[in-house]
Amino acid sequence: MTATPVGTDSQLVIAPMLIVLAAATGTLLLGRYPRARAAVSLTSGIAYALAVAAIDWYIVLAPDAPGIATYQVGGWPAPFGITLVADGLSAFMLTMVAILGVASLVFSTRHLPGGEGRSYYFPLFHFLALGVTGAFLTGDLFNLFVWFEVMLMASYVFVAYSGGPQHTRAAFWYVTLNLVGSAVFLLGVGGIYATTGTLNMADLAQRLAEPAAYGLEPVPVVGLFGLLLSVFALKAGLVPFQFWIPTAYRAAPPQVTALLAGATKKVGIYAIIRLSFTVFAGAEVGVELALPGMPIAGDSPLPFVGAALFVMATASILVGGIGAVGRDSLEGVFAYSSIGQVGFIAMPVAIATTAAAPGLRKLAIVAALVYALNHTLAKGLLFLSIGTIRAATGTSRFADLGGLAKRSPPLAIAVFTASLALVGIPPLSGFFGKFLVFDAAARARAGPVLVVLLVGSLLTIAYTTRAWNRSFWGAQTDAVETATVDPVQVAVLAVLAATIVAVGVGFEPVYEFAELAADAAVDTEGYVDAVAPQEASDLLDSSANGGDH
Amino acid sequence: MTTVIMRTTARAIVPIVLVVSISLFIEGHNLPGGGFIGGVLTTTAFAIIYMGFGLDFLERGILGRDVDPGKEPSRDRVVVAYRRLFAYGFAIAVVSGLAPLAFGQPFLTQTFVMLEGVPIYDHLEVASAIAFDFGVYCVVVGGLLTILSVVGAE
Repeated sequence: MTATPVGTDSQLVIAPMLIVLAAATGTLLLGRYPRARAAVSLTSGIAYALAVAAIDWYIVLAPDAPGIATYQVGGWPAPFGITLVADGLSAFMLTMVAILGVASLVFSTRHLPGGEGRSYYFPLFHFLALGVTGAFLTGDLFNLFVWFEVMLMASYVFVAYSGGPQHTRAAFWYVTLNLVGSAVFLLGVGGIYATTGTLNMADLAQRLAEPAAYGLEPVPVVGLFGLLLSVFALKAGLVPFQFWIPTAYRAAPPQVTALLAGATKKVGIYAIIRLSFTVFAGAEVGVELALPGMPIAGDSPLPFVGAALFVMATASILVGGIGAVGRDSLEGVFAYSSIGQVGFIAMPVAIATTAAAPGLRKLAIVAALVYALNHTLAKGLLFLSIGTIRAATGTSRFADLGGLAKRSPPLAIAVFTASLALVGIPPLSGFFGKFLVFDAAARARAGPVLVVLLVGSLLTIAYTTRAWNRSFWGAQTDAVETATVDPVQVAVLAVLAATIVAVGVGFEPVYEFAELAADAAVDTEGYVDAVAPQEASDLLDSSANGGDH
Repeated sequence: MTTVIMRTTARAIVPIVLVVSISLFIEGHNLPGGGFIGGVLTTTAFAIIYMGFGLDFLERGILGRDVDPGKEPSRDRVVVAYRRLFAYGFAIAVVSGLAPLAFGQPFLTQTFVMLEGVPIYDHLEVASAIAFDFGVYCVVVGGLLTILSVVGAE
């Protein structure tokens, strides 16, 4: 047996993961030297961004790029070892994380919350990034579970980070809920292994496409995928799994909340997209679901996913929007807004799962990805700005805020830009996100969906206007008058705001990237070919003929 | 719990538990066992000592240090050592995973060497996985003992 040949591009696949792993180790060992810790963190953050940029260019975007690259950890061939796969979809997601991660790191070096646990802030930050990176890169269902756990372990600590009674209560909720989620995840994974005999995603896709050839009975996969979907929805914070979000987001330090909202939520969305389109789309389960008024494609498990996602996305948009209007603090508004915005991302995914035409499916996935990018940038900026405001004024409650626009115009402009991006004003990134989502819904001729989207957009205008009016306009309160904002933090916010404008103005390349990502998501065949899972009998034959292992 | 029965039992079983835990750790890469389960068992031995002799016994009785009775448990020198063990263990595991990259092999690749003609054993298998396992062992022992002594003191 010979290991998969290791080329330069495949080393690149694991590079971001190794960089964060090294950063976590380094910052853990440098516990007693705060400056060195911050320096190592920043350097590795930039190295991470460069590695992701290299993946983007050499694997996805360059004219002669292969479009997909794999890495067999430990040299064990698929499906027996763990495969890491970087394709357009993974690269697009990693790029979002890299942008927000670097911003959040620079922010953290300026203002670190917490006393006792401070020396563990950066290691935990890197572990969180490691979990997110691993989840985006892995090509193995059980390994996905492991990365979810890595991500969760770090986020548990961050929710309880400040150590007050409220935080401990929020963390207790969060831990309990996610432990149940993990147990359900494990049940689903175990069930899929029992049904199909494999957990490698490429192998899974291959077997489900021809169940007869492998002697499988694929019907249980529908229900098991439903279990997994509920876990991913819990991570993404879709209604009815949204109730942990407001307390957890309030409890975690703002720069981490930016990452929780901008990156870990997207892992849930990514997992839904990856498993639905790359793995389960080709499955022939022989059970048809007839929805009134919805054209259903084939007899794969996707229509079931689509039906559930339509309900969850609709409820998220409404619950998030209505909830955000009545909150009395900035993080309350933006936490509820996150629930609504994830609904806006899940809606095109739902449209894609039920789309009969490949063109519409691709358009809907592109819409979801572009909207996700906009949400990461805008919501990341808004949560980071809460960090700046809290560090400057000591509060984020509307009752104690007012007149921030006069106090710090650059901060106000950055927040204003992000708010407009959430609403979807041209030429910002949010405009194209909203436009594509509406476009996908219109082409799917889904009238009720359009109504929900419209109501959701109006609610977005209502709560962003209210948050803006209450904290940035009006008379300056005492807390605001004496406040001094950190210039470096405001610079980070300004750069993010400029990115939002740049994505909108130069939308063409972003759209092309999202298109490549959507192509990768639906290209099951390319995915299976790249991973090339082997048969156990082939391996035994080759090792009998003098293999080296 | 610091009764005579507990102490006497502890004296008898702690060495046995430690030896079993180390043997589990060493044979782990081919047989049931490994760094994780070995580490958990080692921690159990420490837990028995804590239960039988009290939280300060390690520092006062074994290391012969003076202990300030009103101190913060997390500032305890033993706890600092546990934390460091955790950090170094993690570093060992990561470096052992990175080492194959220097030989042009994928991350986490393992290999082994058979030593022939070793006294008593005759042949002995030396697996590179033991380095990674040792890292895991340190992480488990360091992490669990930190939790045990800090939470135990509270």
